[in-house]
Amino acid sequence: MADNSEEKLLAVARHIAKTLGRTETMTDDILQIFSTFDNHRFSREKLSEKMDGDDDPRGYAALEHSLKSLDRRISRYVAADQAIWADSADSAEFIDAIDELLSTVRDWNHMAAEKPVAACLDRADDLLQQAMFRLEDEFRLLIERSAESFNLQNRFSGDGLEGSGAGNGNFSSDEDEDEDENGDRIPVAHPVTDFDIVIDALPLGTINDLHEIAKRMVAAGFGKECSHVYSSCRRDFLEESISRLGLQKLSIEEVHKMPWSELEDEIERWTKAVNVALRILFPSEQRLCDRVFFGLSAASDLSFMEVCRGTAIQLLNFADAVAIGSRAPERLFKILDVFETLRDLMPEFEEVFSDHYCAFLRTEAVTIWKRLGEAIRGIFMELENLIRRDPAKAAVPGGGLHPITRYVMNYLRAACGARQTLEQVFEDNIPSVGDYRTSDPNDRASSSSPLAVQMAWIMELLESNLEGKSRVYRDSALSAIFLMNNTRYIVQKVKDSELGSLLGEDWIRKHSAKVRQYHVNYQRNSWGKVIAVLKLDNSSLAPSAASKLLKEKLKSFNMQFEEMCKTQSTWVVVDEQLRTEMRLSATGNVLSAYRNFLGRLHNVPEVERHTEKHIRHSVEDIEARINELFQGGIGFTGSRK
Amino acid sequence: MPATDYQGSSVPFASLGRSLLSIRRDQVHSMESNHDPTSQELELEAFQKQVSDRFGDLASASSDDLLSLSWIRRLLDAFLCCQEEFRVILFNNRNLVSRSPLDRLITDFFERSVKALDVCNAIRDGIEQVRQWQKHMEIVLCALDSRQRTLGEGQFRRAKKALTDLAIAMLDEKDSGSVLAQRNRSFGRNNTSKDSRSVGHFRSLSWSVSRSWSAAKQLQAIGNNLAAPRGNEVVATGGLAVPVFTMGSILLFVMWALVAAIPCQDRGLQTHFSISRHFTWAAPVLSLHERIMDEAKKRDRRNSNGLLKEINQMEKCARHMAELADAVHLPLTEEREAEVRLGVSELAQICETMKDGLDPLERQVREVFHRIVRSRTEGLDCLGRPNNPE
Repeated sequence: MADNSEEKLLAVARHIAKTLGRTETMTDDILQIFSTFDNHRFSREKLSEKMDGDDDPRGYAALEHSLKSLDRRISRYVAADQAIWADSADSAEFIDAIDELLSTVRDWNHMAAEKPVAACLDRADDLLQQAMFRLEDEFRLLIERSAESFNLQNRFSGDGLEGSGAGNGNFSSDEDEDEDENGDRIPVAHPVTDFDIVIDALPLGTINDLHEIAKRMVAAGFGKECSHVYSSCRRDFLEESISRLGLQKLSIEEVHKMPWSELEDEIERWTKAVNVALRILFPSEQRLCDRVFFGLSAASDLSFMEVCRGTAIQLLNFADAVAIGSRAPERLFKILDVFETLRDLMPEFEEVFSDHYCAFLRTEAVTIWKRLGEAIRGIFMELENLIRRDPAKAAVPGGGLHPITRYVMNYLRAACGARQTLEQVFEDNIPSVGDYRTSDPNDRASSSSPLAVQMAWIMELLESNLEGKSRVYRDSALSAIFLMNNTRYIVQKVKDSELGSLLGEDWIRKHSAKVRQYHVNYQRNSWGKVIAVLKLDNSSLAPSAASKLLKEKLKSFNMQFEEMCKTQSTWVVVDEQLRTEMRLSATGNVLSAYRNFLGRLHNVPEVERHTEKHIRHSVEDIEARINELFQGGIGFTGSRK
Repeated sequence: MPATDYQGSSVPFASLGRSLLSIRRDQVHSMESNHDPTSQELELEAFQKQVSDRFGDLASASSDDLLSLSWIRRLLDAFLCCQEEFRVILFNNRNLVSRSPLDRLITDFFERSVKALDVCNAIRDGIEQVRQWQKHMEIVLCALDSRQRTLGEGQFRRAKKALTDLAIAMLDEKDSGSVLAQRNRSFGRNNTSKDSRSVGHFRSLSWSVSRSWSAAKQLQAIGNNLAAPRGNEVVATGGLAVPVFTMGSILLFVMWALVAAIPCQDRGLQTHFSISRHFTWAAPVLSLHERIMDEAKKRDRRNSNGLLKEINQMEKCARHMAELADAVHLPLTEEREAEVRLGVSELAQICETMKDGLDPLERQVREVFHRIVRSRTEGLDCLGRPNNPE
């Protein structure tokens, strides 16, 4: 019933307009009055639609007429002060009108040769252009408004990660309640454990609206404008997101001038940012782009590249700057982080930048990743140089551990924490001419991995550097102690770490043997000399001569033993087990020779009477004195008789 | 679009050095009958000649050709060739490289070259900038396409808008920083003042470095302390100080020319070139410098974003089109229409040249970047190694 009366009312309104309106403009004005009187009941389209139907659509008149009506419908929106998409009914009507305009132009285009039609089409073009400008504005507004509200929401909740609060709630908020490891003054994203999320950067409704607009703009030949607006808006959004992750735009020189501790922080921020970008932001942009330009693939791929290009280059440039930077060994670990981060993101680079517009970004990523590998190899080269050039000036007192031994071994052990990555880094290396690897045929023959060869080489450099340093000691026994201490330390550090499996059992055996050899050298050059004094040949001498000789020998033994204990009192054997072993073997050797000697002494009758006078050390004394040694002077003043 | 598939020459430094070296050696052998100059002297001489020839060739460019896309590409080609030759020289003399005073000179050179990397990156951004301008021009072409039935009000309005956007984008670049910060998101007044719409929307592509980065300062840093080697230095380095200085000067000049041609942040061209005329390559380089400076001083280019010929043509053409579009009264007279069509075809041609030239240029700039890095890496390796096993 209601519908019926509505129909009647409309019919009356139309009749009034027609009869009163002697000219088109008058009719138009009357219709306008109706619609302003009650826009719901007498909407322009309701009234005019019927009027078109009433007329006989023949020739240009019909074209003329529909254009006029479209002009009214479209102009109203083109001139509107309010955003058209603020009201879904308005936007639907505007889109409908544009569709009609487009199809009208299409329908009449073949008759463009006829002058009146051409004139009409000119007007249609003009109208279309105005509608497109407005669409462009609306398109931009839609993107910006929703992105804005979005950011606001996040800022409000104090959540640094873009879009985690996205209208759709794809992103559960519990994930962000992980411990906040960064109390930095710079806003940093919350740690994200699961990166496998694609967010809807814009509300779904907005995406659909954008798609509807994009479709019309492309259809009207305004695809370039549409894609341009789209990419510049989204690019801004992306850049803002990245800068809110705390990442600055840095030139290579700025990165190089940055103090290392600052750069370390920056690398940490970068690691987060690049993960968020590659795993969340870029895929989200890709999805958004695909949706907005659904079915318009040419516009879609190009727009996506334009959106991501700057941010992707910024992220890659930073990694590049790090790779080109200083090769100081202490940087190894952070650079390994950067290398691993990029390596782990390679599949993402491949996937998200799979289309041909983005191909260059894939290539860049690979190039820079490789360059980081080069940087890591460069760091090892720098380490080699440091070892090689470490001067043999001051000797470590007491023949103890040299700082370089400690440094290198602990460094290598720590480096081996990233063994797999390092294997990869060195696997990629093509040995170049003039490289040490070609100079040693033994190394090349071994089937060990390039990393193992590298490590073995560094060990070799370290050893030869230590040998140089051992020559600083004037006492060859002390040289032996020094080498023994340091080699022992090296072997221990190798044994209980990843280094052991890299260098192999053979290496460990060889070097343990070296330690023993140093031990032997030490004994020979120290106690060996003392013992030699006690040596007696078996030729029988006259008792008086024998007595004199033995007395002299004992005297010289006493002197040398004292001397030896005095010299060695400041010597150090770092390793406790080794210390015990050395004392045992020293006491063993010395005591057996001493006992032997004392036995002979007692067999000479003349001497025996004055034994007590000549024997200054009891066997126990000797043992005790030797057992005081190798503590680095601690026992020197303490328990001496 | 840039499908930069450049992987870098896969020939490792060593083998390349080898092959070039053996070729060179063969040449040397054939000439050695009267064994006067050593092969090293010949090599250094050949390098000087090669640099002179290449820059002589560049300097012979007509004024139409100078600073065109194709000329810039030849300039970069020349740089890459010189760089490669230089690399071979360093390789062949690697046992000298780590000795004083050559080690210091080479370290200085590598420091210079690292500074050039930022210029390369800035130029890459600049090329992208030009691509964005090109997009606006394509819209103009689209609007005033010759296949359009007629050129009506709508088409002109569309073209005018694109031209305005282009003008803003180019202006934007000139006073980068100032206008950009403001972003006007207000809506509603748009219709009354279409052309003064918020600049933020036309914000040109942002740079990958911070706003404070300056090409002029960077050039200054590259040229810092770049001085011809003194006689005793030449002797002490076995003559190698000369190619190191040559390459440093070439590096500075090429970077300076890029900054002159391509838009980038704070382009200042006041870099001073002091090269003694007794270097054979000094004449062509200095003459190029002078010609480019003259170009920069020309009235119509004084405020230009870049001296690249095509940018200039684009600017001129866009201005001409904007004037035409403003003066248009519809319906078009035949004469006017012909004028417009002519402008459009000119614009189309510039667009085409840019489209064909920018991608390869970008790849080349990237290659320059990669080569600089590689040569430096190798150099550092050389410097680090004290005794050569070979």
